[in-house]
Amino acid sequence: MVEFQLDETSGVATYLQLVQQVHQALRMGMLEPGDQLPTAQQVVAQLAINPNTVHKAYRELEREGLVRARPGLGTFVTRAPSGPDPATQARFLAAMTDWLRSARAAGLGPDDIEAIYRTAFRTCFAEGVA
Amino acid sequence: MIRLSMLQLRAQAIIAAAALIAFAILLAATGPHLASLYAASGLDGCKPASCGQRASSFLQLANSTSPYAAVNTLSILVIALTPALTGLFWGAPLLARELETGTFALAWSQSVTRTRWLAVKLAVGGLAAMAVTEALSLLFAWWAAPLGRAAGLGGSGNLGTSQFNPLAFVTHGITPLGYAAFAFTLGVTAGALIRRTVPAMAVTLAIFAAVQIAMPLWIRPNLFPASHTTVPIAFSDTTLNLYTTSRHTFTYSLATDDGLPGQPEAWIRSSGAANAAGHPVSTAVPSACLPAARSSGPGPALANCLTSRGIRIAVTYQPVSRYWPLQGTETSICLLLSLALAGYCFRRLSRLS
Amino acid sequence: MNTAIQASGLGKRYRRAWALRDCTLAIPEGRVAGLVGPNGAGKTTLLRLAAGMLTPTCGTITVLGQRPGAGPAQLARVGFVAQDTPIYSRMTVADHLRLGAWLNPSWDDHLARQRISQLALNPKQRAGSLSGGQRAQLALTLALAKRPGLLILDEPVASLDPLARREFLRGLMEAVAGQGLSVLLSSHLVADLERVCDYLVVLVASRVQVAGEVSDLLASHHRLSGPRRDRAALPAGQEIITESHTDKQSSLLIRADGPVLDPAWAVKPVSMEDLVLAYMSRAGDDGPASPQRLKVAS
Repeated sequence: MVEFQLDETSGVATYLQLVQQVHQALRMGMLEPGDQLPTAQQVVAQLAINPNTVHKAYRELEREGLVRARPGLGTFVTRAPSGPDPATQARFLAAMTDWLRSARAAGLGPDDIEAIYRTAFRTCFAEGVA
Repeated sequence: MIRLSMLQLRAQAIIAAAALIAFAILLAATGPHLASLYAASGLDGCKPASCGQRASSFLQLANSTSPYAAVNTLSILVIALTPALTGLFWGAPLLARELETGTFALAWSQSVTRTRWLAVKLAVGGLAAMAVTEALSLLFAWWAAPLGRAAGLGGSGNLGTSQFNPLAFVTHGITPLGYAAFAFTLGVTAGALIRRTVPAMAVTLAIFAAVQIAMPLWIRPNLFPASHTTVPIAFSDTTLNLYTTSRHTFTYSLATDDGLPGQPEAWIRSSGAANAAGHPVSTAVPSACLPAARSSGPGPALANCLTSRGIRIAVTYQPVSRYWPLQGTETSICLLLSLALAGYCFRRLSRLS
Repeated sequence: MNTAIQASGLGKRYRRAWALRDCTLAIPEGRVAGLVGPNGAGKTTLLRLAAGMLTPTCGTITVLGQRPGAGPAQLARVGFVAQDTPIYSRMTVADHLRLGAWLNPSWDDHLARQRISQLALNPKQRAGSLSGGQRAQLALTLALAKRPGLLILDEPVASLDPLARREFLRGLMEAVAGQGLSVLLSSHLVADLERVCDYLVVLVASRVQVAGEVSDLLASHHRLSGPRRDRAALPAGQEIITESHTDKQSSLLIRADGPVLDPAWAVKPVSMEDLVLAYMSRAGDDGPASPQRLKVAS
């Protein structure tokens, strides 16, 4: 079962963070169609947030067509989001891990790697924005 | 709510029960022997003429045999103090501690109204205080019954105090109930007004003490109209004092405080020298009696001389038949005061938080 | 939609000073509502009026449709935990549970005992020797186990350390998830409220400054920054809450009915803390009739 985390400093609304984490889990293959999402009770027990926030996140996911709430049973994943399949995800994850290992071996620290990543990210996605 | 009131009084109830048990043990250990002393004195079935003497000697014997005098004094003190103690330690904290510590917010947000909460706490605490005080009083009444009978037969002595004596009056009969209820509700009211436990206890003690002093001094004597009579100067029951005012003149005073002929248990309010019609007379020793005064002082000779001049003692008193009406009236006053104080507490209840 | 708390012109005066004035609120059911404001703003007064501890001087308040403290049935539907979580220090934890069971017909004993054992509280321990966090949890258990429809809490975590604070809020949110109850809690720490509240009431100087769903409030308030300009140039439908100007730059925090279309402004979202601070500082500056506030055009 996926475990949520909350980043209080990010400025992103809590329910959106939950939605994003479900998206990520689906992409990485940690959640598959048919899996059950944690109940509001379980999320609240872990994060001490308002249960309405959890309901709001799950409603948004339902609106996107990714999950379905079955009364009395729970909320279940219906399909994976469109995008690369888990195999592709795994391939890029492996490539990234290799790159990070060789960067570390070359003597780059976490801050250096972060700076490189952010610059490349900005360049790449700025090119693609309409 | 009843169970909660009892739970909150648990510590105090344990102390009260322990005291009650200790008191009962003390009285049970000494009572039967006192009763056997009484039986041995032959006062049951004594002839009226000789009863007074026998009773007095029984009372003197009881007084000098330890520990009866001490138990008597201790018991009276305990019973007289119990209303004040329950008022202070059960009544004053009832509202004051809740207001002081803020626990009223916990109590009044449960599913009972404030009125019901206070009503049950008042009833449980008040009835418990009354029961403890009256239990002590009844135990003592059982123990002291021989002494009371001896006093009723005309005996006089340290242990034969009149039942109208201020301390005796509030520790016998039903007045302990009234005073317990009054002290308790006084404590609760003080707590409601002052909102802090220790100051409320102090105020309760001060006001209750004032009432206990005012009652025998000013109120009890005026509850019923007094009776008047005159009695002859009988030297053994009379107090005759002689005072020198100058080299050649004397004044005297007469008093009888041990009872009237045939009414040994009457409550003597005042007594003084008077003529046969009951009007006060001059307290200067008549010239005809001066020789007797000079030669033998305040003695039988002077007494006979005064009697032959027509001087008697005028007595203002309450007959013994007034004992229970006085008890009932005084207790009713206390209970009415208690109800009034309780009513005031209820009216103030909504403004307390 | 039913309201949990509805107030209209509610006011409370103590001798000469008004602790609360002109309070008008309509908090829907099912919300966790946060009441925030500086000390002495009237938060405790409002909470105690809602709990039936006080009676209003003027105006009306209904809680779950009824007057607060109107009788045992209404008292059973509202739970209240006062400031500093008062408990009877000479009674044990188990005694407190007995108190709850005896005084509340709707008492859920199983829930109470389950919570006590989950919290690892010793039933035989005197309540006076509990830590601050344990006391707060005991008081919360007492309030929750009577199964209220609305729970009112006055600064429940103010004197707790961060771990105890998190545990308390966790327990509270679990109860909200499990029992579906409405909550009104006050705090002067916005960070706690941000985590758990979906409705916000800002109370400053005895008056309600702003109230509404958190998502609506955050969506309708914006930070604007841009070149220095006159206040009067803002279009209708936009209200300045706070502003500051240097000789070259203006920064505003505004409330807007719709989107901000003026391209000269850089628009940023506001956090709940920004919003609360803005209303608090505005209330500090304002007198009763302030020329600084723009009227919101109808």
